[in-house]
Amino acid sequence: MAMRKYSKITPLLFVVPLIALLVFVFGYPLVRIFEFSFKMVRGIDGPWIGFRNYELILKQGIFWDSVLHNLQLLLAIPIMVALALLISIVLYERVKGWKLYRVILFLPFVLAVPIISVVVKKMFLFSGPVNQILHWLSLDFLALDWIGSSNVALWTVIMLIIWRESALGIILFLARLLSLDESLLEAATLEGATWWQKVRFVMLPQMKGVIEFFTVISVITMFAAVFAYVFIIGGGRGGPGTSTWVVELYIFSALIRLSLPGIASAAAVLLFLASLCLIFPLFAARRRVKEEELY
Amino acid sequence: MKKGIKSKFSRREFLKSSAGLGAGAALGGLLPSMYSHAAKPDLTMWWWGEQELPGLQKFVNDSIANFSGANINATLQDTAVVISQFQTASAAGGAPDLQYFWNGIYHMESVWMGYARPVNGLVSDEVVSSSTPTVLSQFGGNTYRVGWYPIPMCWYYNKDLFDQAGLDADNPPLTWDELLNACDKLRSKGIEPIGGGIQDGYWGEWYFAHGLAQCIDTTGEAVELMIGERDWRDPKYHEFWVRLEELKALGFLNKDMSSLELYPGIDLIIDGKLAMGESIGTRLPADSKATGGQIGHMVMPVFGSGKMAGVPILDTQGLGISTDSKHPEAAAAFLEYLHTPERLQAFWDMTGWIPSSTNFDTSVVEDPVVRSLWEKFGQGENIPYVGNLAPGLFYEQAIFPTGQEIVQGTLTGEEAGDRSARVAQEWRDFNPDMLEKYQQWGADLS
Repeated sequence: MAMRKYSKITPLLFVVPLIALLVFVFGYPLVRIFEFSFKMVRGIDGPWIGFRNYELILKQGIFWDSVLHNLQLLLAIPIMVALALLISIVLYERVKGWKLYRVILFLPFVLAVPIISVVVKKMFLFSGPVNQILHWLSLDFLALDWIGSSNVALWTVIMLIIWRESALGIILFLARLLSLDESLLEAATLEGATWWQKVRFVMLPQMKGVIEFFTVISVITMFAAVFAYVFIIGGGRGGPGTSTWVVELYIFSALIRLSLPGIASAAAVLLFLASLCLIFPLFAARRRVKEEELY
Repeated sequence: MKKGIKSKFSRREFLKSSAGLGAGAALGGLLPSMYSHAAKPDLTMWWWGEQELPGLQKFVNDSIANFSGANINATLQDTAVVISQFQTASAAGGAPDLQYFWNGIYHMESVWMGYARPVNGLVSDEVVSSSTPTVLSQFGGNTYRVGWYPIPMCWYYNKDLFDQAGLDADNPPLTWDELLNACDKLRSKGIEPIGGGIQDGYWGEWYFAHGLAQCIDTTGEAVELMIGERDWRDPKYHEFWVRLEELKALGFLNKDMSSLELYPGIDLIIDGKLAMGESIGTRLPADSKATGGQIGHMVMPVFGSGKMAGVPILDTQGLGISTDSKHPEAAAAFLEYLHTPERLQAFWDMTGWIPSSTNFDTSVVEDPVVRSLWEKFGQGENIPYVGNLAPGLFYEQAIFPTGQEIVQGTLTGEEAGDRSARVAQEWRDFNPDMLEKYQQWGADLS
């Protein structure tokens, strides 16, 4: 039976509804955010003011404090990668009960951020259980004001992020390890390679793609997905002082609390552009992961 | 017989008759309710308050059920969106008829944008004035809210701890020197003298309102600080932050103050772990009952020379009518209904707190501490809560972080003055369209 001939446009017509939906859901709000960023919006619209919103934001100290805090959060990433690598390799060694440990270690990632943040906040009160244990262990110098001191609060947030976000790294890395060709490791063992040599010269080279992927995902998280952490730990206001303000909180505050949608939109555009710069390395890393898995 | 019926009454006719009867019955059932709906307008009401006054939801539901003048669909709003949701809905032409309004700038911006109607002329003058919406609800000669429930902004002290330190529990400190002396005595007995919890920032906001009120002569003067006609860097206007710095430097603030939130901080006073601190009157009935009358109330001890120093602060939460409302008369009738003697009593019964009405019979208040609070803060001379004059940006980026950093010891009172001046300027830059209205409001209040 002869196949009917379709024009080249025909397949495209099938995807038009989906494209239209995507344009409506993502494209329209994006265009409006760009538009709002050039307006002094009250309610749902306002007069055109050019780049004034951007000028105001870039002149404001608290915006740069927020950016700086986002950059400080990046310090968590090397720790997250190292921790996730170490734990995933230990699990890969099939220590007794490794499947149970895997579930336990992934649990933080399944729990909602606000829930774990509230629990952590209670634990890290100045008179809370963590400090009580430290006093009991005669480690008084470590009993800090974890959430009440401007010098410490952001580090408390970083610890929480490391604990939760590393779980994703553990699962990703373990999945990659389980797909490795075990004959290479067996050969290395027969050649008398030490544990560290096997990790350094056999495992890590094959995990390069997934490590890059996790790193890029984590960078995007630190820039654009830490709101729930800082909102809870920072008492809803980025406190103490301005020590846990991040760009997301700045946008939330401008939009919801200050009723300044134009300012919020301009800050969102800046964050969007910064995130966009990270999307391309993400795609490249994903491509490498797929390529590694093929070999 | 069956055959006869069948021949006279076909299946088609049977179905038609059934449909006709059904439609008639349905119409008959609907008519009374349609009439009822036609007679009663539909109103929407967005409100807040259950979060700070448990029992209010029950009162709202009960009032709606018993109000015969309209069908009201009420929605309890989330704290974060009370202002922005109303403003966005108003801009889109979909505002509720009745809206909960916090006092001062928190509804005045909506007034300036044309989203709220004056309640005078709609609600009877007697109800408006007896509801004590406070001077901060007035602009251009109009009043924009009807008071709903009052919030005396008091300080708590624990009488038992005062007794232990040899202080007079019936006469709390009135002046700053008396306060420092009391703190000293309390500390010498191993009692944490003063403080609370500032991790969420609200303690600093309350302190700002208590402290600034002592440094100014009129509420208009606070507005002038915001619009740049007066300077926060003038020592007179940041003296209250210097006083907080002094409490910190002397070691009188509780050690865990920075990591505790506002209400757990107040609980320290109730639990007998802290001697003094800021609170609000709505808590007093429960706190007094829980401690067997061991909680006393006081006004912030006086350090300032402003005309409002030492005068009790009374804030009032309120309800207003949107410009969008298609049935403002019905909305006004509901507000009047909330102030009928029967509803005022129901408010007390369901919330355990006093409604905002000078007509409320306070003889039902049995607790002498609560009654004395109301006599002092509600029925005596009082001043409005000047924290309600601070625009959102100043509130978020000056008041909150400043209080926290002084309590930590990382900011001085003088630096607080510099920050206040800078953030007030930023607010003016971000909101040039609001400045003129703010100036007019300041003139009204001076």
